[in-house]
Amino acid sequence: MRQDADMPFFFGPDAGLFGMYHAPSVPARRAMLMCPPLGQDLIRCHRLYRQLAQSLAEEGMAVLRFDYHGTGDSAGGSAEVDWERCVRDAATAAVELRRRAGVDRIVAFGARLGGSVALAAAEQARFSEVIAWDPVLDGGHYVAELDAMQAALREDAGRFNAPRSHSDVAEQWLGFDIAESLRHQLSALSVASANVPTLVLDSMPASSGRSWERIVSHRGRVATITPPTPWNDLERLETAILSHPLIQAVTGRLKEVA
Amino acid sequence: MREEAHRFGRARHLVGIAGVPEGARGATGVIVLNAGLVHRIGPFRLHVELTRQLNAAGYPTLRFDLSTLGDSCASGGQQTRTQQVCADVDDAMKLLAERAGCERFVLVGLCSGAQNAHVVAATDPRVSGAVFLDGYAFRTLGYKLRHYLPRLVDPARWARRLTRRGGGDASVTPKAAQPVFAVAPAPRDEVIADFTGMVERGMKLYLVYSGGISNYFNHARQFRECFGKVMSHPAVTTRYAAETDHTYILTGDRARLLDGIGGWLSHNFPPANAGRHP
Repeated sequence: MRQDADMPFFFGPDAGLFGMYHAPSVPARRAMLMCPPLGQDLIRCHRLYRQLAQSLAEEGMAVLRFDYHGTGDSAGGSAEVDWERCVRDAATAAVELRRRAGVDRIVAFGARLGGSVALAAAEQARFSEVIAWDPVLDGGHYVAELDAMQAALREDAGRFNAPRSHSDVAEQWLGFDIAESLRHQLSALSVASANVPTLVLDSMPASSGRSWERIVSHRGRVATITPPTPWNDLERLETAILSHPLIQAVTGRLKEVA
Repeated sequence: MREEAHRFGRARHLVGIAGVPEGARGATGVIVLNAGLVHRIGPFRLHVELTRQLNAAGYPTLRFDLSTLGDSCASGGQQTRTQQVCADVDDAMKLLAERAGCERFVLVGLCSGAQNAHVVAATDPRVSGAVFLDGYAFRTLGYKLRHYLPRLVDPARWARRLTRRGGGDASVTPKAAQPVFAVAPAPRDEVIADFTGMVERGMKLYLVYSGGISNYFNHARQFRECFGKVMSHPAVTTRYAAETDHTYILTGDRARLLDGIGGWLSHNFPPANAGRHP
């Protein structure tokens, strides 16, 4: 792999979005936009996103990873994260990827809320396909899970010498300030199917009660990945999420449609 | 102020984000090293918040990924990890010197980042200050007394222990430890000699240890117990934050940490005088 094949840069409005472009060694015919999840999932998935991007670049795809406003290396504070802005940033990133790669056809990939963003942005960003890994479809349920984990964090004896006060943990989710507006946006989130081929990669625990029918009923399918991914385990909050089966599933899907 | 994304280094193998405030030419540069395996943004974006706050105060900064971490690649050379770290930080200092004219640097590291900052600070004359967050520490006699004595005289603890021995609490099973961060031990005499050498060279040190490392550090007094009289040197500032966790997950704890680092920097390396070695 060429050392300088992965190029970091800023782009978008006021050059405030951080991107990492993975150029293929041959002229690209297709491209992938990798939409990151939000919050701690973004940090936990960073390594895996990089591994997947490099695998796809080696297969001849142009790949762009990026951070939404208020996340990662992009401009803005964590409390400024806004759902509608994330969807717009994905569309902005798609424009940037088309410009850099010189191709029109973009497949979007995303894990958890990154999958939700990819589905929500599919029309605006003109994605040709969406691959969503355990996307969040029911925002209300997701918010309740985060609230429960944040409440448990307050008394986490493995982390703190003594329980923290309620005010110490208020208005945050697992390490990040949360604006009331984002809480409302996610609480009301109900992700609909995208009008493009959609592959859902399912590694949620069986107990999660997930149901993907509503986004794959028309032009999609579901593939199961094992073992289940420990997304919501407080004890593994700072452990990277790595999944060779996930990389195989995504690269395999893209070879199918090559 | 705008941040700059860079691919840099002797093999163009490193990735980092430089923040260069207007008019900061020649100021002391602050370089933030990876905490464990977390990429350059730091745990819960700690390094982004820190560097931007320092940029606003007038300091040029660089947060970057060491070889093989985050978005950085291997350099391709045949070096030990310590040699790689020193060479990577050398590359980082050269970049910040080029972008902001820095000649002197302050290194900031959490956990393994503190260990790496320590290694470089002990040997590189361009480093004029360091912030060690949960860096080297040793279980002292004082630590053991503070840790075990309260347990010995706690009747509830004895009752639980006897119940378990009787097989009465089979539901409690030991949990497998999740490896997250770790500071590899170094000989205590060596660490003390390093600290002594740093302050004799004119370096300023800020050690902040958290309640999250209570398995080997549990009181402000332990700085002196661990490292001796060098901890009382005027160039050394220590702080023990018993209430916080190892990675500052709560935003209020993080804000207090950042304010502490900002205050220490402005006291020891005021932006107006920065670049002049004390």
